[in-house]
Amino acid sequence: MELESESEMLETYMERLSEIQDGEKYKQCLQCGTCGGSCPYGIVTKFTPRKMILAVRANIIDELLESGAQWLCTSCYSCSFRCPSQIPLTDGIIPAARELSLLEGNPPEELARALMNTARYGNPFKESPKKRDRWVKEVDFEIKTLADGPADVLFIPECFGAYHRRCKEVTKAMAEIFNRLGTDFAILGRDEKCIGDSNRLSGEFGLFEELVEKNIKAMEKNPFSRIVTIDAHAFHSLRSEYPRFGFSKPVLHHSEFLAENLETLKEMFSELEYIVTYHDSCYVGRRNGIYDAPRDVIRAIPGVEFVEMKRIKENALCCGGGGGGVWLDSFIKEFMKERPAEERVREAANTGADILVTSCILDIPMFEDALKMTGLEGQIVVKDICELVLEAIR
Amino acid sequence: MKICAILRTVPDLVEEIEVIDDEIEPFAYIANERDEHAVEEAVILKERYGGSVDVIGIVDEDSEEEIEEPLAMALAKGADRAIKLTMSNKSYRRIEQAKALAEYFKDKDYDLILTGIQGIDAFTGMLGPMLSVYMELPFTGYVTSVEAEDGTVKVQKELGGGLLGEFRVKLPAILGIVSAEKPLRFVPLAKLRQVMKKAEIEEDELEIPEFEGVQVVKYYEPEKPEIVLLEGEPEEVADKLIEAFKEIGVL
Amino acid sequence: MKDVAVIVEIIESTIQDISYELLGKAKELASQTGGKAVAIAMGNKVDVSSLPCDTVYYIEDDALENFCSLHVKVLSKIVQEVNPKVILAGNTSIGTDLAGHIAVELNIPVASLCNKVSVNENVRATSLAYGGKLLVDLELKERGVILANRGSFTAATEGSPEVKKLSLSDIGIEADNEIEFIDYIKPEEDVDISKFDVLVSVGRGIGGEENIDDAKELAELLGGEISSSRPVVDSEWLPKSRQVGRSGKTVTPNLYLALGISGASEHLEGVKAKNVIAINTDPDAPIFRVSRIGAVIDIFDVIPVLIDKIKEIKD
Repeated sequence: MELESESEMLETYMERLSEIQDGEKYKQCLQCGTCGGSCPYGIVTKFTPRKMILAVRANIIDELLESGAQWLCTSCYSCSFRCPSQIPLTDGIIPAARELSLLEGNPPEELARALMNTARYGNPFKESPKKRDRWVKEVDFEIKTLADGPADVLFIPECFGAYHRRCKEVTKAMAEIFNRLGTDFAILGRDEKCIGDSNRLSGEFGLFEELVEKNIKAMEKNPFSRIVTIDAHAFHSLRSEYPRFGFSKPVLHHSEFLAENLETLKEMFSELEYIVTYHDSCYVGRRNGIYDAPRDVIRAIPGVEFVEMKRIKENALCCGGGGGGVWLDSFIKEFMKERPAEERVREAANTGADILVTSCILDIPMFEDALKMTGLEGQIVVKDICELVLEAIR
Repeated sequence: MKICAILRTVPDLVEEIEVIDDEIEPFAYIANERDEHAVEEAVILKERYGGSVDVIGIVDEDSEEEIEEPLAMALAKGADRAIKLTMSNKSYRRIEQAKALAEYFKDKDYDLILTGIQGIDAFTGMLGPMLSVYMELPFTGYVTSVEAEDGTVKVQKELGGGLLGEFRVKLPAILGIVSAEKPLRFVPLAKLRQVMKKAEIEEDELEIPEFEGVQVVKYYEPEKPEIVLLEGEPEEVADKLIEAFKEIGVL
Repeated sequence: MKDVAVIVEIIESTIQDISYELLGKAKELASQTGGKAVAIAMGNKVDVSSLPCDTVYYIEDDALENFCSLHVKVLSKIVQEVNPKVILAGNTSIGTDLAGHIAVELNIPVASLCNKVSVNENVRATSLAYGGKLLVDLELKERGVILANRGSFTAATEGSPEVKKLSLSDIGIEADNEIEFIDYIKPEEDVDISKFDVLVSVGRGIGGEENIDDAKELAELLGGEISSSRPVVDSEWLPKSRQVGRSGKTVTPNLYLALGISGASEHLEGVKAKNVIAINTDPDAPIFRVSRIGAVIDIFDVIPVLIDKIKEIKD
């Protein structure tokens, strides 16, 4: 069922924009070009966000869709962050164009598969929902589920943290830290569905809403006081998107939780002799302004020498995994010889660090892959911030 | 062209399948992937040559399988009619299904009937070739593309090892589709839900005749081989690898 | 009704490997039934004189050179004459077209996706249904058409059968135009790796483009093709069409021989092989978790030895 005409397309697009917060602001675009200049794909795309707005104004959305530019975005938020008119580019202009591709029925195949899997199984990996809590068996202490009783902290590992072989290590590390700190925590277990940020940013709004409803329902089973998550995108969605659907609990990124417990952790720390650099993940840093918490935690570990990369904080380069980017690998490769992640790990290696600490779960597969590609494997190791902390308290 | 695509559900292998009392109890059913390709190809042909697409969903009378969503999906993709056919009794025997379907199709006058080449549960033969015998129509399977040419279709058929054969098939005919010309089109969830709400799914019964001949003795899980780790000198490892190659039949 | 017949698969006048596997099994079954192993071959200018069986029905005609609707008609006639207890065909494109048809026409029960078959009063077969997740033992009353998967039986090599050569007119079949052969389409640029039973797959551990040839040679010796993980394609050592995994193809070969592949989740998503054999220097490489056999050794040490040894066997 394809969209019949240009005007129908424009109408659908406008309708979506009107539902997005500040969507109408696109009218205030000055055509300054800051967005394109900030975009990691700015030099390879035919339509930068500025030109996308131009395409909407000129009613040539079909040309935009055909170029594939709408998929050359990993929702790093640099454009939106810097936009002088504060137009919701990452949340509106781009996903609304993506939605049109979805309605046309032809998004990039890899992403389409991930979306269809998420609709059916609640995760993009085509894994059984019943295996979502399998990682629990890999730790040697009990972990309760919210369905069994109330808890102080609800821990959300999200899809990568629950299923992805490498990312599960981060989930287990965080669970062990909770355990060591004596935190009263629970998980949703099999009731947890994909939190859905990638689906929203990919333009699959209907799926996002369904996931939100299911997750909120699962969270209502028993009281808890706040959420802690290791997934930066889940963090953002739960904190900024879920409240629109009636969810109202405090949400902490795990780096914030670690910083909050730093005094206790300090007493447990033993010395680590590492040179460490830190990557500001888009949805922790630029998007949500958390720059100090992870740095404070790293610096507090005795023996660790902390070094900064060239581009940090709001100027940090994206790993390329967000907004469905982790499923757009082949698509993006058609346009670019080197992926942003490869550039980023070179930058990290240039600091002379042994460890590249990250705070977004998607960074791990993206950067580990980039290390293979750049031949830097062995020279620098990727670790999530909680993995480093766990090593220091073991 | 008046086209019909046959859609069946199969156990979802992502979920567990239990064997209870010599019957299998899947946790969930899913549209047979090859059949989804048959539906896709049918819609592609309709878009190219005009005509209509009817999609027939076959279900067991007393199973948990839900054909409604796959049928709605077919409608959302561009099929014209969706018909749910309930089998009068459960049958894993393709021959019984084929005979019943042939009866059903008798005066439907389809130019082309498309079916997925092989379901994952097709252990008693394939529906397509069997149906073709009862309907006295030509059949060929492993088809990857279809082009209409007055009164015939030109099809590409996989022959193995990447080789394709091009054949001309006289209409009406039955084709077994292995994959549609294009990837399965995407349907956003909101759209699917919308179609499901207002879709009119016609219902009919499929009278299943009984045949003897083949029967299931038992279902069981294969033994999972533990990993064997080979260590030692290259000579030794190579010998063991060759043994393994022989055992699995590649040498 | 004691004979065991095999539908010989001929493409471009070449007898396909699977036919030798089926004949290997046919001989074994025939020795139990006390009948003959019979090959049924249809084609044009095909040498059937050394097929490993007792009798060959060879129907030769220009019109039978390539697969078409005549084949099923001829086969039906011959099967009625031979009246075998078991008919073995490949669970392949041509095999399923033919066998599915004659089973219904001649009212013989059929089992597909099989990897085992035995005979007593009835015919027993094991089907690898449900993607191999469940096995199904089937009993076929008195007779059976068995569609067997590639690589299930040990191939027989050579024989000196009695050849019964017939023409279309001998068996009274006239040309028709229900399904006509037009032409072959060879893969244009590159192969489709998802269609192969054996894949030798290389990862970053292969080191460089210069080492790809060894892996290719090994693939050829094993009758398969070369594939890879993504870093190899990104480095342009192999074309994109060879990539297995999330952003590449999903493959289902009988053997997936992983050389220097660590086995990241993104790669393993595309590996649905029956048998994974991995060679890697890192004993903790995740590829070993999905392997049946793992060799902890440097691929550069073992591949040349392996190639030499397989060549020896082949000679």
